[in-house]
Amino acid sequence: MNAIDVSGLVKRYGALTALHGVDLTLPQGCIVGLLGPNGAGKSTLIKALVGALRPTSGSIRVLGLDPLKDKAQLRQLIGYMPQSPALYGDLSARENLRFFGQAHQVQDLEQRIAEILEFTELSARADDQVYTFSGGMQKRVSLACALFHRPQLLLLDEPTAAVDPHLKQRSWVLFRELAEQGMTLFLSTHLMDEALLCDQVVVLREGRVLAVDTPQGLLQRGESHIMLCAEDATVAMTIASTPAALAQALHSYGFDERFHTLLIDADSLETILLKLVKE
Amino acid sequence: MHRTFVVARRVLNQLRRDRRFLAFSVLAPLLIIYFFKIFFDTMPQGFNTARYVVPIAAFMVHFLAFLLCAIVLVQERTAGTLERMFINGFRRVEIISGYILGYTALATLQAIAVLSETLLLFGLDYSWETILGLFVVIWLLALTSVLLGILVSTFARHEGQVLPFIPLITLPSVFLSGLIVDTDHLPTWGAWLGHAFPLFYANRMIQRITNVQQSYSIWVNAVILMGYGGAILLLASRTLRDVE
Repeated sequence: MNAIDVSGLVKRYGALTALHGVDLTLPQGCIVGLLGPNGAGKSTLIKALVGALRPTSGSIRVLGLDPLKDKAQLRQLIGYMPQSPALYGDLSARENLRFFGQAHQVQDLEQRIAEILEFTELSARADDQVYTFSGGMQKRVSLACALFHRPQLLLLDEPTAAVDPHLKQRSWVLFRELAEQGMTLFLSTHLMDEALLCDQVVVLREGRVLAVDTPQGLLQRGESHIMLCAEDATVAMTIASTPAALAQALHSYGFDERFHTLLIDADSLETILLKLVKE
Repeated sequence: MHRTFVVARRVLNQLRRDRRFLAFSVLAPLLIIYFFKIFFDTMPQGFNTARYVVPIAAFMVHFLAFLLCAIVLVQERTAGTLERMFINGFRRVEIISGYILGYTALATLQAIAVLSETLLLFGLDYSWETILGLFVVIWLLALTSVLLGILVSTFARHEGQVLPFIPLITLPSVFLSGLIVDTDHLPTWGAWLGHAFPLFYANRMIQRITNVQQSYSIWVNAVILMGYGGAILLLASRTLRDVE
């Protein structure tokens, strides 16, 4: 059974069409990134998947269930973290968790709250009112609320937006840990570098799916521009964005023929900044 | 049923934490009642103050219970917590019932405070039975106001959209429900329009309990007010959207 099966999904808000016939099939047990610029329809798609939106037309199956007709059953199987924190600011992190947890009638409620607080590294401030938290910490409380009932599928709407690089890195460690526990994660982002951290990527623009691929597959669709400079000459060339193409291009300039792959993994600016902060 | 109490407990917890909101909800009507006292002190001798003060106290509770509940529930929508409640499995009827329970506790506090101040400030010497009767009427009105607030909030996407409903619902009731002038003196259409406001029935019960107007029936008006509340509850549970 697939995690998500969407066919011909259209959502219109009056004259505005937010989703233009989206077709999407995603397997279980992986991290899927929904990438696209602001206004691409990412939140609309996620809201339709969790049953918060009625599609204009098309069909949706999430874990084999219809989000509108089988909502009671589905809501026990999915966790949803909206784009805004959607928390009660005057309640503590623990009280927010308790409130949403009680809806699912989880056994050993207090123990589960302690586990989740520990997992999301919120234990130290568990009893502080949420309005005193930074935006990043509020996102973590929001994530904690979505994890409470051990869902099979977690839908996260821009979980790392407006989060500092350190917290973002920590969030991705959390996401990977959840995926290793067997959870399927479907998360939206407008940060293109986050695509590399996903197992599969869905690219959405103006309500249309442009590509569904692995990050490596997407990279191979690109090109690399190389410039070789000597004292008396400069050579510029454009090759396919694959490690093999780079090695092959350099063979004619004396690069050892035995090496068929050349992979350069330079630190991103974010990684460099993170290292500086840690130092 | 379990989730209804979960919502009610959370609402009460929030009210307890938000001291400023709580203080405003209770102290504001007390202050306004005091201003009315200053106003009524300017009236010529022999003016029947008792005819007006308890209905005005009831109106204050009605206005605030309606306003606060409408705004807070709209805030739930704008903050995304309402959507989150639905996705976490809370049902419409559970959310509405939880809100009624939570806000009725606040409305009870308001009813006790406002009625006590009115009786003391205006020196109204009523029997315990009369005071209890007045409290029950104001409390019933407050409960209906909470329901009315919930109903209005279901039509609003943000706080700004609640604002037009406030004068639309509360101001006409001041003039058409017998608070200032008896509805018998109004044009027929005005008197009939007055029936649309919960204050109309509460005012009639108050007038009967305080022996101002003997012809009004307490039970008939109580049943109508409760029926009014039930109808709003039914309507609100249909208009509160769980899917956009």
